[in-house]
Amino acid sequence: MQTTRWMLAAAVVVVAGSAQALSAQSPPLRPVPPAAAPAPGAESPAERKMVIARKKIARDPKHFHGYNELAMALTQRARETADPAFYAQADDAVKTSLALSSDNMEALKVRAWSLLGQHRFAEAHVLATQLNTKVPDDLMVYGMLTDANIELGKYDEAEKSAQWMLDLRPGNIPALTRAAYLRELFGDVEGAIELMQSAFNRMPYQETEDRAWVLTQIGHLELVRQKPAAAEQVLQQALDLFPNYHYALGQLADVRTAQKRFKDAAALQQQRYTVAPHPENLFELAEAQARAGMSSDAAKSYAAFELGAKAEMMKDDNANRELIAYLAGAGKKPAEALALAQKEIAKRGDVYTREAYAWALFKNGKRADAKREIATVLAVGVQHPRVLERAALIQGTAAAKTAAR
Amino acid sequence: MTTRKLLQSALALAVVAAPLAVFTASHREAPITALDRAADITDWYSFVSYDDPSKMTMVLSVDPLLEPGNGPNYYPFDPEILYEMHIDNNHDAVTDLTLEFRFQTEQRLPGVFTGFVGNLVGIPPITALDGAGSEGLGTRQTYSVVAVKGNQRLDLTGGRKLIAVPSNVGPRTMPNYQALYNQGIYDLGYGIKVFAGTTDDPFYIDLGAAFDSLNFRPAAGGGVLSPTDDNNNTVNVAPDEVSGYNVNTIAIEIPIQYLTQDLRVHTNAEPAAVLGTYATTSRQQITVRRTPREGGGNLGQGPWRQVQRMGNPLINELIIGTGFKDRWSMESPTNDGQFVQFYARPLLADIFKSIGVPIPAGDRVDLAPLVTYSGPTIPAGTPAGPVADLLRINTGIPPTPAAQQQRLGLLTLLDGNPNNNDAAGFPNGRRPDDDVLDIAGRAVAGILVDPATYGTRIGDGVNVNDMPKRATFPYVPPAHDGRNSRHVDPNEPGCAGVCPPGL
Repeated sequence: MQTTRWMLAAAVVVVAGSAQALSAQSPPLRPVPPAAAPAPGAESPAERKMVIARKKIARDPKHFHGYNELAMALTQRARETADPAFYAQADDAVKTSLALSSDNMEALKVRAWSLLGQHRFAEAHVLATQLNTKVPDDLMVYGMLTDANIELGKYDEAEKSAQWMLDLRPGNIPALTRAAYLRELFGDVEGAIELMQSAFNRMPYQETEDRAWVLTQIGHLELVRQKPAAAEQVLQQALDLFPNYHYALGQLADVRTAQKRFKDAAALQQQRYTVAPHPENLFELAEAQARAGMSSDAAKSYAAFELGAKAEMMKDDNANRELIAYLAGAGKKPAEALALAQKEIAKRGDVYTREAYAWALFKNGKRADAKREIATVLAVGVQHPRVLERAALIQGTAAAKTAAR
Repeated sequence: MTTRKLLQSALALAVVAAPLAVFTASHREAPITALDRAADITDWYSFVSYDDPSKMTMVLSVDPLLEPGNGPNYYPFDPEILYEMHIDNNHDAVTDLTLEFRFQTEQRLPGVFTGFVGNLVGIPPITALDGAGSEGLGTRQTYSVVAVKGNQRLDLTGGRKLIAVPSNVGPRTMPNYQALYNQGIYDLGYGIKVFAGTTDDPFYIDLGAAFDSLNFRPAAGGGVLSPTDDNNNTVNVAPDEVSGYNVNTIAIEIPIQYLTQDLRVHTNAEPAAVLGTYATTSRQQITVRRTPREGGGNLGQGPWRQVQRMGNPLINELIIGTGFKDRWSMESPTNDGQFVQFYARPLLADIFKSIGVPIPAGDRVDLAPLVTYSGPTIPAGTPAGPVADLLRINTGIPPTPAAQQQRLGLLTLLDGNPNNNDAAGFPNGRRPDDDVLDIAGRAVAGILVDPATYGTRIGDGVNVNDMPKRATFPYVPPAHDGRNSRHVDPNEPGCAGVCPPGL
C-alpha cells in the first residue's frame, strides 16, 4: 500500500523532468496495443499524451522518440488507473524504441521507470545507477535512484540522491516530492507537508492527475498528524481535480475511519475497488467492512482477497504485505504469514516490509525477534499510526508507544 | 570549399546533436539552469574602464531574452538569489574578494493591476526612482552591496538606498527613461560606482542560424566571413536575433588598487596586475532533513547552493558535454580539473574538422590560456595555477578608447595589421561589445596555434550590437522601450548601412 502509493507516484517526475527529455515522434514496427478512445475533451493528462504520441508514431514510424513518449504516457496512465497492464504496453513501446536505436538514453530511462512501477526495484536500481554514471546531470535518473533506494530500504543512499536533486535546482518538483516522502519516513510530518505544498504550488495547472496525487499525499500526511478535518479538505480538492481518483478515495476512507464513520469508509473503499480492482484494495475494503460490522460482506471480501493475492504472490507487483497482514490476522494462518514475510524481507528492506515481517514474527510468538525488527523500523523515524500501534503491541508497553513518537 | 562544408554542418551536427547548446553567450545553456531563468547568468564581463584606466568594471547579466513589453510584472531580480562576483588576485583560482548583491522588492501600489503606471488616473509619469516622480513605480527593488574578504564583510552602500532601474515600460509611463537610467548609477565613494537594473542585452548573435545546426546565412559566407565583412566592426550581414531583448544587469566599477593582492596598481609586466574573475548565482539549499531552529521549530533551508557560474563566455556552451553542464555549473572553478578532457579535446573542434576546417591535432594545449594563467597577456613569472574557468585580465594593459575598440579584441594582434591592435579585449578580460562568438569559434579552430594555418574567419555575420556602444559606466545600453522597440527579423539581412540602424 505504502509502496504502491509512492511508487506509482514517481510520475511526478514526468512533470518537470521529461518535457525536454521525452520529446517524440514515430510509430510501431510492431503494433502498439490500441487504447480505448476516450470521449473528446474527457481524456486524462496521460490519455492526451498517448494520443499525441500515437499520432507522432503514425507520422514517422521509424523514429524512436515517439515510442519513448508513448511509453512514458503509458506509465503515467498506469498510475492514473492503477492498471499494471499499461506497464506491459509501455515495455513494448520501449522495446520498439530500443530496436530502432539501441542506446537511446530516453528509452532506457523509461525502462527504469517502468521497472519501478512494476516493483522490480533491484533491477531498476541497477539500471538507474548505470544511467547515472552515463549522464550524471539527469534529474529524472536521480529521482529513480531515490525511489529505488527508498523501496529497497537504503535510506542513506536515498537521502543523498534526493539531496543532490534538491541541490541541482532548489525547488524542482520531483526533488520536493521525494524529499517530502523521506521527511515523512524520517518522522518529520510537518516538514513533509511543507515540501508537498511547495511542490503543489509549482505544478502546471493542466497536470490534474499529478496535482491530485500531491493533494492526496498532503491529505495522507494530515491524517498521520491526526488532523482528519484538514485531510478531508484537501482530499476533496483532489477528487474535484480528478474525479474517482483511487488514491484519494482510499485516503478519504481512512479519514472516515478516523472519524469513526465506518460505513462511509466501507462505501468509499467499495468505490475505490470498483475503480481499481486490485487485491490490495480488496483487503482494505474487507477491513473497512469488518470495522463497519458488515461481517458477511467482509468475509466474502477476505476470501476473494486471499484468492486474488495468492494468485499474484509470486509476481513482482503483488499484495504480499496485505496478505501477510491477513494471514496473521483474520486469516488465522500465522505460520503461512511468517513464511511469506521471510521471502519478502529477503527481497527488500523498506520500513513497511520490515513492519510486516515484525508483525508476522509477533503473531507467531517470536517476540524477541519481532522487537528487534520493529526497533529497526522505529529507528528510521516513521510515524505511521498503524506502525506505531503494532510497535506498541510488539513492545508490549504503553511507554513504547510514547517512545515511538 | 570550407564555406560549402560549413553549410553542410547540419548533417555533421545531426550525428552529435547533444552539444547543440552551442553559441549563445550563455543564454539557457545548462538543462537545469534553463529552468531557473532568474538565476541564469547570460554574460560576465570584466575590463579596465574605457574612460578611466585606474579602475576595473565588472558586469553580471542574468535572466535571458527578456521581452521589453512583457507586463504587468516585467522582470525583477529574484530576492531569493545571491548574486556574487568573485576575484582571484594571487593566481590560485581561489576567491580572494567577493562582491555580494541581494535584492528586496516592495509593492508600493498593491491595488494597481500593473507594476508601473504613469500619466494615468492622476498618477504622474515616472521620472524618478525615489521621491516626487516615483509615485507610479509600484514595484520597486532596492539592493545591497557587500564586499567579503576572508572573514570580513563590508557594507559598501554606506547606508544609502540603492534602487534598481526598472524595465523601460514606454514613453507614456516613463517619458525620459535615460534620466531614470542615469539615476540608477550610484557613487558609493572611494571611487566606486554601482548600477543594477534592466538593460539592453549587449550580446549579439545570429541565434536562429546558430541553433539551426550552424546553418549560417549565405550573406555571412555560410559561417566563414569574407575579409571585407570580417574587418567591418559596424555592419551586420546577418540578423542579430537577440536584438530588442533585455537582460537584468548588475555593474560595479572599482579602483584597481582595491582588487590586487597588495592593494597597488601594477604595470602589465608585473604578475600582480593579473586577476581572475567569475560570477555566480546561488539559492539557499533546501535540505531533506530539517535542523532544529533556535527558539523552536525547524529550518528546512541550509547554506547557499550555487546554481550557476561563468568566467569565460561559452565555456559551458562550447566545451562542456550536455550531461555534465549542471554539475559544472554547481562546481567551484578550483575543481575544474575533472572537466579537463572537455577543455583539452573540445567536441566543437571535431565538428569543425568534420566539415573541412583545418584543426590542430592532439590535445589542445593552445586553449590553456582560457583555463590557466598563461598566454600572451600574462607576464612571465605568473604562476599558471590550477585548471579553472576564470576570466583572466591583465589590469596593467591600458584600455582601448571606446571608438577604437575592435570586435575581435586580442585576436587583432594576430592579423598582421598593426593599425587595429586592441589588446584590451577578450580574452584579456571581456567587454560588452567584444564578439566572443567569433573569437571563441576561431580559438577552438586553432588560431592561437598558427593564424596562417588555422585562422579560418569563422563568424556568424553579426558584428555589432543593435544599440549604440556606451562609453561610460555602466557600459551597457539602457533597456529597450516596451511599447516601441522591435527585434530584427530573420529575413532582414542585417544593417543595410552602419549599425545600429536608426535606433
